[in-house]
Amino acid sequence: MYVAVKGGERAINNAHKLLAEQRRGDKDIAEIETDQIEQQLSLSVTRVMAEGSLYDRDLAALAIKQARGDLIEAIFLMRAYRTTLPRFAFSKPIKTAEMDISRRISATFKDLPGGQILGPTFDYTHRLLDFTLMANGEAPAEAPQGEQPVDENMPRVLDDILNYEGLIQDEPTPVDDDAPVADLTREPVKFPAGRDLRLQNLSRGDEGFVLALGYSTQRGYANSHAFVGEIRYGTVSVEIEPEELGFAIDIGDIELTECETVNKFKGSKTKLPQFTRGYGLVFGQNERKSISMALVDRAMRANEMGEQIMGPAQDSEFVMEHSDNVQSTGFVEHIKLPHYVDFQGELELVRRMRTEVEERLAKRDAEDGISHPKAAE
Amino acid sequence: MEQTVKNPADGTSAYNFAYLDEQTKRMIRRALLKAVAIPGYQVPFAGREMPMPYGWGTGGVQVTAAVIGPNDTLKVIDQGADDTTNAVSIRQFFAKTAQVATTEKTAEASIIQTRHRIPEKELREDQVLVYQVPIPEPLRFLEPRETETRKMHALEEYGLMHVKLYEDIARHGHIATTYAYPVMVDDRYVMDPSPTPKFDNPKMNDMAALQLFGAGREKRIYALPPYTKVKSLDFDDHPFEVQTWEDECGMCGARDSYLDEVILDDQGNRMFVCSDTDYCAERQEAGHRGPQHHDQPLSNSKREKAAE
Amino acid sequence: MNLQTSELLPGFDHAAFDSNAVFRALLDAMSRPGRIYDLPVNISAPDGLNAAATATLLAMADMDTTVWLSKSCSTKAAGDHLKFHCGCPISTDVKQADFAVARISDDLSFVTDLAVGNAEYPDQSATLILMVDEISDSPSMTLKGPGIKDTHSLAIKNLPESFHRWRADNHHLFPCGVDVIFASPTQIAALSRTTRIEVN
Repeated sequence: MYVAVKGGERAINNAHKLLAEQRRGDKDIAEIETDQIEQQLSLSVTRVMAEGSLYDRDLAALAIKQARGDLIEAIFLMRAYRTTLPRFAFSKPIKTAEMDISRRISATFKDLPGGQILGPTFDYTHRLLDFTLMANGEAPAEAPQGEQPVDENMPRVLDDILNYEGLIQDEPTPVDDDAPVADLTREPVKFPAGRDLRLQNLSRGDEGFVLALGYSTQRGYANSHAFVGEIRYGTVSVEIEPEELGFAIDIGDIELTECETVNKFKGSKTKLPQFTRGYGLVFGQNERKSISMALVDRAMRANEMGEQIMGPAQDSEFVMEHSDNVQSTGFVEHIKLPHYVDFQGELELVRRMRTEVEERLAKRDAEDGISHPKAAE
Repeated sequence: MEQTVKNPADGTSAYNFAYLDEQTKRMIRRALLKAVAIPGYQVPFAGREMPMPYGWGTGGVQVTAAVIGPNDTLKVIDQGADDTTNAVSIRQFFAKTAQVATTEKTAEASIIQTRHRIPEKELREDQVLVYQVPIPEPLRFLEPRETETRKMHALEEYGLMHVKLYEDIARHGHIATTYAYPVMVDDRYVMDPSPTPKFDNPKMNDMAALQLFGAGREKRIYALPPYTKVKSLDFDDHPFEVQTWEDECGMCGARDSYLDEVILDDQGNRMFVCSDTDYCAERQEAGHRGPQHHDQPLSNSKREKAAE
Repeated sequence: MNLQTSELLPGFDHAAFDSNAVFRALLDAMSRPGRIYDLPVNISAPDGLNAAATATLLAMADMDTTVWLSKSCSTKAAGDHLKFHCGCPISTDVKQADFAVARISDDLSFVTDLAVGNAEYPDQSATLILMVDEISDSPSMTLKGPGIKDTHSLAIKNLPESFHRWRADNHHLFPCGVDVIFASPTQIAALSRTTRIEVN
């Protein structure tokens, strides 16, 4: 006798209850507050905002809490919420040249106008577990203020310094601030994709994927030899220009990290050699992502530069189709859904093919007069 | 975890009817009209992120959300069954966001969203079948680049597909594709039928119901208008054929439906049951019995087993 | 904008339900070329348009679609109505049109300028909404093709001969081509680019 399994609905509801219970963990331990996440896990928060394509620290903190700290799950929650939001306006292009700088460094010059501003960085910390954080979480001493104020119009290494000599590929900013910019969340992507679309894709692409591709360009799977011309991290204001007002208004500040790389030069017997460039821009403080993004951006400009495609990072269709972690995690994980109908078809076919081969072999052996003694079991 | 679509702050609905905003629905609806006008052609659409993962039916859900109205009755199946977890989840989603009636009966549904099966019962003109599609491009496993496959469709260059199928014949003696078996639509476009078993392919041909296909992650929509010629690719000397079973359904005795194998123990004992749960239930209600149905007398061999 | 909203006619009573009902009629019509569907909503049409054409545009057009209106359709009332309810750009360049709207008595020579898409993206084509006085199933045309079981009869009052010549050429462009929605004051029928027409 066979009774089919029923009750999917109740099983699902109970699984959700168990998930909620596990998320909360031991009830004797204080529940984590979203403002604690927002303040103390701020790099998780900014990653979730960046890859979730939605700048809202509180929602990102909530998503991280709800996702039990699984950042890709949190990014997914942000994206699903973002879809339902109406679009009121497109911002004016932000001006990173006017960034309120927290950190700005250049690897191409020892000293330069505006100076090297270290700001908050893990760079020179010794990676030793700090057990005092576990013991009592002692409040750190306040960092001292610098003696000189940071330059309000921090010169840009590539545009203001290198370009002065014409040493770097010129990248004119669009004349028209209101020129349309592609948006892959509103229109289906078509290949070959423009640089605006590629940059948008990278900026919200999975940090690990972009990092690995950037790394691959350094190991010979592209030929772009990059230096970090400049990284700057700080806040910029976002402006929109409502139709009915006719002038721009400031709607708030966002934290950004911008990276510009200086890459291997190009030129010919008749054309002056010039450095080329890659660009990275990401929400929050994320130098790993912005550098990787700049490396991959430069690699994806292979066609424009007339370079031979030799690595995956240069293949923009490959990069763009696989960079999105919400897409990839969904599809990779979907193979745990039931596939028994398809598997049944495969079972039937494999059994049939085995029978056919066995029959063919038996027939051939019979014709050859060979008999196989049964192997002892 | 009870999920709510009400805004806790003021009790108003936090989401639009059927979840998607009207602008998104219009975008999908425009793509659907183009899809029925060009049968089998994959229309790009700006697929949205849905509150379920990519690969779990987001394309089908978006198509259903754009098509469904307050008077519809929705049935959702996965592997032919209404009670598989993902089918339950999608049905609950629409019951919650669109407050529509739902059913498990094929005959009562006006919209049927499916993953991997076409119902056994013949569909009618007043029904719409919505397929969830993972990889809409039938040429994708032969050529991974969209820029290339799009050209191949434009030029009707399907030689590569025939070569692949013919290689199967050369190696195995027959075509070794059992599901997502490619079809030619109205003598023009080669189309992926979604990962339905090839057993279901003949049902697509000349179907009275409208068939819509949604691929969310790949952002493609395509369609088969009713009464459209759909032919499974084959060769004169190796005509297309569907799976057959020597067994009947253990519950309802059906011999004409797609059967799932159920493993009974670790001794190789198994039985077969209809994958289409509604078809099977309806037959049982009409008095049909298979050998393993619980009100059937136990056969001798089983009686011995039971006595052990 | 200096529109007086008081001069405007109302749009759909219920945005989600009414646009869904109209879309379902259009989807059925396009899936079953030649079959006639009653307009499922009551809606007032501005001067220049009829009810079925207005409902079609309200259901399908928005800021992402460009609408072109023939001379007899492009009244101020029609333009204001569409701009207010759909927010759609209205172009005077017929080549830009996603939806082109005309009356059957108009000079229809513009149809050859409508976008037909290209071999790789045949969906990037225009849809013609043709306002007509009467649609019936008397056998002046016999239709065949996807969506049609065997054959189907359709008659459009006063359909000019030039329309049929254009439609025959359009059919040969497949998969490119223009799809047609006939909008009478109370009914809708469609011709997909796949439909083969025999004029009786």
